[in-house]
Amino acid sequence: MNSRFRITRWHVMGWIFLATLLFFAVAPMVWMLITSFKSQFAALKYPPELIPQNPNLEQYERLLSPKNDVGRQFLRYMLNSIWVSTATTVFGVAVAVPAAYAFARFRFPGRKALFFSVLFRNMFPAVVFLMPLFIMMRWMGLVNTYTSLIITYLTFGLPLSIWLLKGFYDNIPVELEQAARIDGCTRFQAFYMVVMPLSAPGIIATAIYSFITAWNEYVYALTFLNDDEKLTLPVGLQRFFAEYATNWPGLMAASFIMSVPVVVMFLILQKYFVRALTEGAVKA
Amino acid sequence: MSKTHRSEPSTRGFFGRIADHRLDYLYILPALGVMMLVIAYPIYYTVYLSFFRTPPSLAMQDKIFNGIDNYITILTAESFHEVTINTMVWTFWSTFMAMILGLGAALVLNREFVGRGVLRGLLLIPYVISAVAASYIWRWIYHSDFGVLGAILLQLGLIDDKLNLLDNVDLVLPSLIVVNVWKEFPFAMIMILAGLQTVPDQLLNAARVDGAGAFERFRHVTLPHLKGVLVITVLLLFVANLNHFTIPWIMTGGGPAGASDIWITQIYQIAFGRIRFGIASAYSVILFGVMVVIGYFYVKALTGDDDRRHG
Repeated sequence: MNSRFRITRWHVMGWIFLATLLFFAVAPMVWMLITSFKSQFAALKYPPELIPQNPNLEQYERLLSPKNDVGRQFLRYMLNSIWVSTATTVFGVAVAVPAAYAFARFRFPGRKALFFSVLFRNMFPAVVFLMPLFIMMRWMGLVNTYTSLIITYLTFGLPLSIWLLKGFYDNIPVELEQAARIDGCTRFQAFYMVVMPLSAPGIIATAIYSFITAWNEYVYALTFLNDDEKLTLPVGLQRFFAEYATNWPGLMAASFIMSVPVVVMFLILQKYFVRALTEGAVKA
Repeated sequence: MSKTHRSEPSTRGFFGRIADHRLDYLYILPALGVMMLVIAYPIYYTVYLSFFRTPPSLAMQDKIFNGIDNYITILTAESFHEVTINTMVWTFWSTFMAMILGLGAALVLNREFVGRGVLRGLLLIPYVISAVAASYIWRWIYHSDFGVLGAILLQLGLIDDKLNLLDNVDLVLPSLIVVNVWKEFPFAMIMILAGLQTVPDQLLNAARVDGAGAFERFRHVTLPHLKGVLVITVLLLFVANLNHFTIPWIMTGGGPAGASDIWITQIYQIAFGRIRFGIASAYSVILFGVMVVIGYFYVKALTGDDDRRHG
């Protein structure tokens, strides 16, 4: 009985492993943060100062102040990213929810084939779609618009969103809806008032996933947008690097600012995400 | 109206059943619509374009049908062999290492202890941040003159000269794989962690009572329950790695001398660097082929028992 609480060889090895892994995962981000507090000059010292001697917020002030060119540009990129990611998330959820519900509940012919084809998308590399989509967007006059990015991002997020949400709907008893229908709800009301609230964690998880994916996406933004004013953060970061190649502290500060929203969002909401994976991925 | 949603089997034919369920399709129509636009058409167009010699301009007029010439050009190119090997090395080692680290982390994190949530959160951060930011962070760590990694190894006496990972033909690919593993092991971890929650405690306890050690319990109880999740995770990672563009592109652009060039960076280079969409399309179709074979197993693993549950 007490073997459960005994510290075994396996426990010790497990802890050592986890500590090493934690260092591997966190150290690069700590180094990003440390570098971002250095001056440009201090960053190019050798050997590098592991603890900055004159830590300052110079880089952050520059990036976040609309009064200078760099700051104006950076804040512009950030607004662009916020707009594209938010629009992708809203439309993505609006399209994924009814589709996932239909796949979970209805028995229409071709359901299985359609569901497979939705999942099959995951097999195809984003970059392979890049070329034909670029030609198509050019043809439709959508190159250099956010519409092209939003449509693309929302589609690429759909397979996983539908898959995750279907797992949730599969687990909500049909009897609950039937009871609501007996009480006089229409099919839509039953969905809206009974199923939606119960699947809220799944919807939240899907929304976070869409937002983070859109926020971080690089290849399509790189190809579809060519106007300097329109760039999103990942491409903007690359633009910064090309322009101020030796300003590593500035680049690290920009990377840090860019990571904050998604990391905070993910840490607060990770339990929904983990639950969605548990419901969807493992049971599906 | 409500008749269309009855689920009892219809005696009418296929099209009759479609008509019976016509309202159901409305739910998936928006999803289907964008998928057709953004996925089905591009697939068709890529295959179509792969048989044409395209002019080096973005307007796709004046293209000339040239049969399978594009495929021959790719497969006989001098660099194809090396790039294919790089792609395999990159994909295999990234997937393998991410799985090992993810499995290890998940097994340790599956125990109850104080601070487990915080630890899990910290380990997940690399997965969430942008691949572009990650690439620059690691470029800075690897920097040949001012990089912290080289400085520390030098100080410890493990190397005797400056470390120049990204310009070294032999070390560049492993260095990129480390970055990729850093970025995606948390995904494997979280998937496996989710899978571990389905392992029944009673079974583990029963095995313990029967005198099974930690390793036997893992081997005979945990592992069989995890099989499904492991298969899915490996396939997802495999496909993601085969198509991973950002890290090699930002960190090295395929260099030095093509030592970190993989299929996907080649395709991008051919399409948007050299503006040869025909050849790039044929390259994509080859990648498609590999992907379809893998996709077959992927879908099979993913939906294996769906039939039995829903009949």
